[in-house]
Order: sequence, then structure tokens, then C-alpha cells
Amino acid sequence: MPSIHFDTCKRAALGALLIAALGPGIASATLGEPEVSVQTDVARAHASIKSSQDRAGYRVHEIQLPSGTVMREFIAPNGQVFAVAWQGPSRPDLRQALGQYFDAYASAPRSKMADRRHVQIQQGDLVVQAGGHMRALSGRAYLLSAIPSGVNVGDLH
Amino acid sequence: MASMRMLRMGLCAVLCMAAIACSGGGGGGVGVSSSGGSSSGGSSSGGSSSGGSSSGGSSGGTGNVANVIIDQGPSNASVNTLFTSVTVCVPGSTTSCQTIDHIQVDTGSYGLRILAPVLTLTLPVETLTGGNSLAECTQFVDGYSWGPVVSADLQIAGETAHSVPVQVIGDSRFTNIPANCSSTGGTQEDTVASFGANGILGVGPFELDCGNCDTVAGGLYYSCATTCAETTVPTNLQVANPVTRFATDKNGVIVVLPSVAAGGAANVSGSLIFGIDTQANNQSGTETVLTVDGNAELLMTFNGQSLANSFIDSGSNGIFFNDSSITKCVAPPSDPTSQIVNFYCPATTLSLGPLSIQGMNGVMANNLTFSVGNAQTMFNNNTFDAFPQLAGTNPNSGSFDYGLPFFYGRRVAVAVEGATTSAGTGPYIAF
Repeated sequence: MPSIHFDTCKRAALGALLIAALGPGIASATLGEPEVSVQTDVARAHASIKSSQDRAGYRVHEIQLPSGTVMREFIAPNGQVFAVAWQGPSRPDLRQALGQYFDAYASAPRSKMADRRHVQIQQGDLVVQAGGHMRALSGRAYLLSAIPSGVNVGDLH
Repeated sequence: MASMRMLRMGLCAVLCMAAIACSGGGGGGVGVSSSGGSSSGGSSSGGSSSGGSSSGGSSGGTGNVANVIIDQGPSNASVNTLFTSVTVCVPGSTTSCQTIDHIQVDTGSYGLRILAPVLTLTLPVETLTGGNSLAECTQFVDGYSWGPVVSADLQIAGETAHSVPVQVIGDSRFTNIPANCSSTGGTQEDTVASFGANGILGVGPFELDCGNCDTVAGGLYYSCATTCAETTVPTNLQVANPVTRFATDKNGVIVVLPSVAAGGAANVSGSLIFGIDTQANNQSGTETVLTVDGNAELLMTFNGQSLANSFIDSGSNGIFFNDSSITKCVAPPSDPTSQIVNFYCPATTLSLGPLSIQGMNGVMANNLTFSVGNAQTMFNNNTFDAFPQLAGTNPNSGSFDYGLPFFYGRRVAVAVEGATTSAGTGPYIAF
């Protein structure tokens, strides 16, 4: 999108149209899905792909969201999205970004040691790690079984 | 444990009902009294911890000094969590007021947020041009909190601020959480139990809780009629660090806490001083002044790593950094998904350092040292709630998050953006 200023009404209407068009399939986008789902993310979020970069063992799409948050989606050689990461003033739409794994994340038990600054959750194949503070949130989610060999998880940010 | 919790809730219900019964109408206001201040819902943690020494009383302090305490909080499970009391009033009223204890003091966020279940006042919701109500989806790292932005007069110790935008979390008038809010994920934190406090007082080094919400509808603020939609908000309606709205002593805060024994302590109390160089008790001296960046962050160097996303934060309950050589805790078989695994559990206490902290102004604090103890031992301790050696891993490999343990035994000043003191220009952290 050329502009970050977007009429709220249009935005809501477009979102509704997209949701209607995609139907239940909307829940099966992104993490664990084919690379084409990146385009769905971009369209839904009224965002723009800032860059696409090939790194050793995977490809990264960097998506600039209107909120100022940057999201990165990591694509394995087999074309599967194996990780997403974000950094900025607010989180991206994780229901969209995590797709079928969102509910596992959202329903993960909250620790009584929690302090609203750290999350490190593992639910089956899904790992979510998030940190930071108000106005500067960062995090990543990845599928343990889908990480291409030789890729260092620490580099996924 | 469960029965204790139920007993406490029952006690609260009785106290709250008594308070309402005694208020004598007038819009449901609860009069402030010197003894009734700590009776608001969810108060009192175990034993005598919330006694009159600190968080009780109508003002919880005098002049520009608010009393603060570290106790187990309303969830009876908090560690390294700093609390104070705040009096909120219907704007313009001196009688429709309520003092709420166990409000967490957080130098890592901005603005006052109160959990609706403890609020007995009806505060007016802020309205946007056109009449829609303003609500906010506050994003914490591990979840989100939804509720309206209301206007309130505030009193903390002897300081007052008028018509401050404040968020009420979990308000029964705003139950339809927009999908765009819940889709940000994590846990919905809208109860005292899930929040671990009756509210949170964000006194970090900026004024507003959003850097660009006046021009970008970025998913924090919502315009609500029958449904809610993301909106931009004029800065005067955005939830603001209340200190910046005080009549005086508004350029920052100083947190003063005593040293805490290595093994921990119960009910540590200290002071939250308002203003820097505005009174005899808040003068700058020879402290190290570190200017923070636009994200309130500093550059820390530890173990040869430069960690650009580092911060000092009273709202973090431990020291969070990555060192693969330190033994992590193990989840008990009874709770295999326990997040205890993200804390450190060395067999013997480790003395670590040097840690250096560099401000954006180039000033450095060098050769800091700290200790890491066994977190499992601390969490097993039901008596203590302040632990200077609690540490864990950091989900951000480029970050050192030095939480409340940093504040023990220190006098830490947080100057807000634009503040000019004899020590420097905000935003900065000095100690």
C-alpha cells in the first residue's frame, strides 16, 4: 500500500470481503502453510512486502505493517512457512500469522511467575517466544519439526 | 490453598459491600477515609503484609512521596512486584473517590490501568468527535487487556492530576472484544487474578502509551458505537503517564528501595518520589545519567555480547538474559508445561559480571555485578516475595532485561521525555 493512512470504513469493508471470500480457509494460512499464504497476510493487513531475501537454508519476506510493526515470514526450501517473527509497537494479527496453531498459543496456560514481559511457550510442535515492553514488543513463533537443517533458531528475528 | 483463596474472596465481598453501604449514595462513590483505603476489592495478601505501613491509608504517602511495597499482591502469588495505592475520583468531585491499593508500579509502561472488578466508581468514558466511545486494546508481551478509556481525577500521595485518561480493564459495559484485539494473541488479562494486581501505574520515561496513535490506527485504540473499529486518537485522549499530568513534580519519578537479603525478604517497602530537582528530597547528585532511545532502551554488554534491546524495568520480576552455561530449572512431573523452565536454577549462587550499560548519550555504567540464585527455591518459598537473585532466559537474544532486582539498594530516577533537570535532559534513567 502506498499510504499508511487508510479509511477505517473501507478497511473494515475490505477485510469483511476478504474474510467472506476466503471463508473457513482463512484459518489455514501462514505458519505451516505454503509460501503463497504470505500474500494473504499482506493483503489482509494492508501491508507491503519491504524485502524478500534468500539466506542460507531459507528465504525471508519482510512485511511492513501500517502500525509500524515489521513482520518477517521464514520460508523453508520446501516452500513451507516454518517461522514468523515480529518487532514493533504492537503485535501483528497472530490469528492470521499462526493459522491453525493460534488456538494452541492463545490457550497455553499462563505461568504464575509471569510478569507481562516474557513468554516462552511450547505446545506440541509450536514454540512461541516473546519479549519486550510497551511500545517495543518482539517475538517469534516456529514449528520445531519444520526448521530446515542447519538453521539457527536464534537467527529467526 | 483453594479454601484460603475462597475465604479471601468472601472477606473481600463483605468489605466491599460494607464500603458501598457506608458511602451513602451519591453515584456509588466510595468516600476516602484513612482506614478504608485498603478495603477495595482484592486487597490484602497473606498475613499482615498489607498493614498500615505502606499500601494502606487514604493517600499512601505524603507530599511528593508515595509509599511502595513488594508483597504477594492480590493474587497471593506475586514475586518482585512493586505496588502502591492510587486514589481515583470522578472528575471534578472530591467525594466520589476511591483509593485502590496494590496498583503495580511499572517504569516499563505508560499510564494508569485499573481492573474493573475493583472499581466501585462509575467514571465517564472518553468520547471521540462524533460521540463514539474510546476503548483500548493494551498489548502486553504475554497477552492483551481490553476496556474503555475513562477520565479520572487522580491523587497519589500529595500529588493531584485532573481529567487524566485512564484505562479500565474488563469493564462490563465493553464485553465485545474486537477480533483485531483478540487476534493479537496471548492471554486475555482482565481479572485481578490473571493480572496479578488491581491495576498498573505506568511511570516510564515517555508521556503516552503509543508513539503514533494520533496518526496511525495501529490496533491499540478503538472507536466504539454498537461495534468497535480501530481508530486514530488525539494525544489528549490517549492514556498518559499520570505523573506528566500532575500540577507539580511532573518531570519524572525516583524509585528508592532498600537492599534485600540474598535469600529474599517479605514485604519490602520503599518510596516512589515524584519530580526530579523540584523539591529538597529529589535533588540530582552525582548519579550516572543514561539517556534512553525511542523505545526506552539502552545498550548493555554482557559476556562479550552487545545487547541493543536492553532495558531497566520495575515491571519485570527478574533479571532476564541468556547464558547457556547456567543450569535452567526443570518442570515438575505434576506440571510438565510449567514456565519455570525459563528461569535459572544453578546449584549454587553465581556471581556474574561485569555488565556495562550505555546510554544513547554515550555515558556508560561499567563493572556492574549481580548474582543468580535458584529460582525453584525462590518460587517454593511462600514467605518471601522479594528476591534479588531471581533470573531467567530472555526470549529476545538481543536483550538484557534488568527488572526489579536492579532497584534493590538503589535510588533510580526516571526522567520523562523533554524533562530538563540539573543532571540532564529526558528521557533518561539515572542511578
